[in-house]
Amino acid sequence: MAASKASIPRQSPPSGGPPVSPLAVPPAWLPLAWLACAVIGLIGFGVTLTVTASTVVHTPGAPTAVATVHVAMLAFLSTAVLGASHQFGPVVAGRRLRSVTAGLITMLLWVPASWLLPFAFATRRPALLEVAGVLAGSAVCLAAWNLSGPLLRRGRGTPVLGLRLAIVFLVVTAAFGVTYAFDLHHGYFLLLPRRVLAHAHLGLIGWIGLAYVAVAEKLWPMFLLAHRPSTAAGDWAVRLVAGGVPVVAVGLLIPSEPLTSIGAGIVVAGLTAHLVSLAGVIRHRRRRMELLHAYVLTSAVMLIVAVWAAAIAGMFDVSTAVRTRAIQTEIFALTMWLGLAVIGHLHKIVPFISWSRMRAAGHTKAPNGRPLLFAHLVHAPAARAAYATAVVAAASGAAGMAGGHVLAIEICGVALAITGLIVIVNLTSGPLRIVANDRRAARAEPEPDPATTTDTPTPVAVS
Amino acid sequence: MGTPITEADIERVDAALHEVYDPEVGLDIMTMGLIYRLEAGMEKVIIDMTLTTPGCPVSDSLPEEARQAAARALDPGGDDRVNLEVVWDPPWSPEMIDDDALAELGYRRVTN
Repeated sequence: MAASKASIPRQSPPSGGPPVSPLAVPPAWLPLAWLACAVIGLIGFGVTLTVTASTVVHTPGAPTAVATVHVAMLAFLSTAVLGASHQFGPVVAGRRLRSVTAGLITMLLWVPASWLLPFAFATRRPALLEVAGVLAGSAVCLAAWNLSGPLLRRGRGTPVLGLRLAIVFLVVTAAFGVTYAFDLHHGYFLLLPRRVLAHAHLGLIGWIGLAYVAVAEKLWPMFLLAHRPSTAAGDWAVRLVAGGVPVVAVGLLIPSEPLTSIGAGIVVAGLTAHLVSLAGVIRHRRRRMELLHAYVLTSAVMLIVAVWAAAIAGMFDVSTAVRTRAIQTEIFALTMWLGLAVIGHLHKIVPFISWSRMRAAGHTKAPNGRPLLFAHLVHAPAARAAYATAVVAAASGAAGMAGGHVLAIEICGVALAITGLIVIVNLTSGPLRIVANDRRAARAEPEPDPATTTDTPTPVAVS
Repeated sequence: MGTPITEADIERVDAALHEVYDPEVGLDIMTMGLIYRLEAGMEKVIIDMTLTTPGCPVSDSLPEEARQAAARALDPGGDDRVNLEVVWDPPWSPEMIDDDALAELGYRRVTN
């Protein structure tokens, strides 16, 4: 399009505030390190699920099954969301983290804790569990303090509000978990199934789920270039999920079935609003659908599966065995709702972050000599392969949990591990290839010939 | 009194902006229609630029890259001869991309 000579009034952006100050963006290594650890967590989840598949089916309360769940929640999902929050919070709020160093220390506390805690569960070592609890609790406190810098900024819309509330749920979930880690010696609180469920729903829906519901309201319109007439559905989604989760948790803890049902109804209304928001973004999109949207839509299907499974467990008069499988299916489907969303968005977010870092380091061209684009940092067929294996994992895992099929869950575990391997190789090899190419090109450049340079005086021949 | 901006300066800046690419779409910012105004002021080139969305991840780097490209095209002293502002009205839409690029990218025109 040719440059217009027409005078156009200059205005501030209509929504979302002014462009982000460069000072607000944390250094690329911080979110990238977090996200790399999260993908390793995904691989770990796949491996542990494969190894513990039989236990997960037959004795879901056994320590090794609990360990597997915690690898998924801590090493994979929470690590990914914490990492994304360290990038997304400052960028969207337009205010930097309180401390980048604190972000690094948080990661150094969190990542070991996210592996140590499942290990302690699996090997039944209460002392290790307490150590992991201290590490995780410290990391959560540090993250809450650090992220409160950007997230307490007012007037930044639903995404920041939702992320702020999600951090509150993270603190509550961690306090819950750490209490039980220390209580293992004393047994003040019996680890009743309804208490475990309260802990699980606070973490899965209140912390990770709400964070995704909130962040999606920023990312979806951006990636789909959707100019929606209204953001009401997304606004409702955040408020209803945030309002419903505490009611569910209290209802489970008291216990009060009516309260749990009311809370569940509010949460389901919020998640439905989240899906309505997704439908609105897709309807008003200005770009064709791409791989990210396949991830997001498959993730939405898993959310619907989770709601149905929860309904079967909570509303129908079924046997204990069926209820147990329904709850397992619900927890797994919620995990994959969030897991698929994380994996899909990684293929967008990591190239965004890497691109800026690479250009700052002088890598501005693709191997074909054209300007470096995001597309040069991701191998598209590999990304599609990762989607295929992730879908296999989601489908076989859900079927395995619902039907009690060990083999299906083993397939799910292997598929998850393969997905993680593909993702990490794909997202790291793209930038490395560009860097290697630039180094080769630099080595291949001939040394300047002093005789041909204009700055150097040409020697005068002496006869 | 500085050097006045000439038509030749504008043409050089126009060409320079054709070399600044949107890193996600892979089109230059002129073809994308992100440059709303490019004209000669008294002593500066005036550029009004937008971004695809306010939350665009390159909202820092792309305008700065465009400003630097324009400044290089105006050397010497180009840094002081460019006045680039990011504007948001009217909001950018794919209609601002030229037809061939639009079809190639698979963007959708608004029909309602």
